Amino acid sequence: MNNPEPMLEVEDLKKYFPIRTGVFSRVVGHVKAVDGISMRINPGETYGLVGESGCGKSTAGLTILNMLNPSGGSVLYKGKDIYSMGKEEMRNLRKEMQIIFQDPYSSLNPRMSVGEAIGEALEVHGIATGKKRREKVEYILKVCGLDTYHYRRYPHEFSGGQRQRVVIARALVLEPQFIVADEPISALDVSIQSQIINLLEELQDQFGLTFLFISHDLSVVKHMANRVGVMYLGRIVEDAPKKEFYASPLHPYSQALLSAVPSMLPAQQKERIILTGDVPSPSNPPPGCTFHTRCPWAVAICSNEVPHLKKVGPDHFVSCHLVEEVI
Amino acid sequence: MKVDNKVDEICELPTPKRDTELRQVWRHLRRNRLAMIGLGVLLVFLLCAIFAPLLTGYDPIKIDLGNAFKLPSTENLLGTDWQGRDVFTRILYGSRISLAIGLISVTIGMLIGVPIGALSGYYGGRFDLFIQRIIDILIAFPGILLAIVVVTVLGVGVENVMIAVGIASVPIYTRLVRGSVLAVKEQGYIAAAKALGIGDFRIIMRHIMPNCLGPIIVQSTFQIATAILWAAGLGFLGLGAQPPDPEWGAMLSKGREYIRTAHHLTTYPGLAILFMVLGFNLIGDGLRDALDPRSRKHK
Repeated sequence: MNNPEPMLEVEDLKKYFPIRTGVFSRVVGHVKAVDGISMRINPGETYGLVGESGCGKSTAGLTILNMLNPSGGSVLYKGKDIYSMGKEEMRNLRKEMQIIFQDPYSSLNPRMSVGEAIGEALEVHGIATGKKRREKVEYILKVCGLDTYHYRRYPHEFSGGQRQRVVIARALVLEPQFIVADEPISALDVSIQSQIINLLEELQDQFGLTFLFISHDLSVVKHMANRVGVMYLGRIVEDAPKKEFYASPLHPYSQALLSAVPSMLPAQQKERIILTGDVPSPSNPPPGCTFHTRCPWAVAICSNEVPHLKKVGPDHFVSCHLVEEVI
Repeated sequence: MKVDNKVDEICELPTPKRDTELRQVWRHLRRNRLAMIGLGVLLVFLLCAIFAPLLTGYDPIKIDLGNAFKLPSTENLLGTDWQGRDVFTRILYGSRISLAIGLISVTIGMLIGVPIGALSGYYGGRFDLFIQRIIDILIAFPGILLAIVVVTVLGVGVENVMIAVGIASVPIYTRLVRGSVLAVKEQGYIAAAKALGIGDFRIIMRHIMPNCLGPIIVQSTFQIATAILWAAGLGFLGLGAQPPDPEWGAMLSKGREYIRTAHHLTTYPGLAILFMVLGFNLIGDGLRDALDPRSRKHK
């Protein structure tokens, strides 16, 4: 299923944060938040990136947008390496790549009216000013399920769901093509979550958006994504089309995650795979397969050799030494 | 699982009157009795400073030796000094000097300190390290000492006192603003602004500084009080306003020589300094509570 031109190609992306101590800020180690991930996202698709908290999903999202400097690897947006771009070129690209943050409370400036917050980018990029700017902002407010009279309101006058709509409107006003949605619903009430999900889907249809959808909620990802990547401790351990992933997850970690998703039908209730222990520290990951400390099937090789993503289906990749046996 | 996208609008409460933050702060401040007393004291001083010529028939500078050392009476409310000048009149005119020193020196300190602190906090790294070590050195000196050094370099006089006290308050502002910027910088809306391609200057001016205003306002009221005190101190040491200017610190200093026979020469200028500083401190305390949303909710 190698489509002609992927929208985004991430190749062996790494982001390490140095750990500094002492008076002279000596670097004593690194937190390997993202440790060599690769992915391809085709235009109009939604790639669901899932994993536990702390596994590096959000860091991956920020690094892909060049909001954090990568420690290695490359990101090609429409075939162009974004890390080798100049300042001006990158600023222009910002119009095409946007991000929606998790917390709608901290991601709106409390001292800026909604109209200003959304319209600011239009002005900065010289797209629209004055009356035209206002019209454009009012249009995008309506698209996102808000009303034009919200233009002059301040963030504290809104509920969480409405704030998230404002955040989405702000991300959309520049008419981007690629959006990183970093857990866009996990800070919201369950009743509001479905509304935001529906809104994102509508917007995707209407504007032909491509999403990198970061979440820890497998049922939401099942609903939204075309393709799923499972992250564990900074690495992608499984990368597969949605249907295949939910029907037959191959990595033990994916299986454990999926077994934890509650089901409405008792007949579908699978046996729970309960992982013991905690996620190891990303500053000192275990040798070999990072998952071997918690893996129910771990054997000798797992603690010695780092597994690489293996092609197990036409478009299905797993990084596990035992994948053939597990199948 | 289609749900009407506008359901959450029902939850929105009608807001008949726009409750701006300013109004909330004022409402909270009004209930704070001490802050209101402080505000009252300052208003009295302000009116005295503005309408000084209407409140007294005497000249603050003209010497009238025949009337020297008069005790307080109906004619001279607070008595006269060693050169026969009415002490009450001099205190009225002196409030002009003190208020001007307080306001102008704090403005100078703010104009220099706030931008340095903002840049230092926003950019961080080596630049921040460099600036902060300089600030460390400046903070190691007591403010008044720093002011004395600057006055010594610039020469005596009211204008130089303003500059000196202003410079002496720069490190305080730099530290304060840097701290606030560091906190605001981590907010999601700053990352969002960067993602939208908004430039650093605009982010600092429109997103960061408006959210750092609270601490700056509070610090400024305290800083005005401190500046007045420092200026009086410099006046007392003879480094500030020069005779015959009716500066409170200078009045204290000269009056000290006659404290056994004519205590009113020191008592009343001293009380004037006390009340003005107290006024600013009380209102500063009140503002600090009123500008903090957490303490606002408790009341």
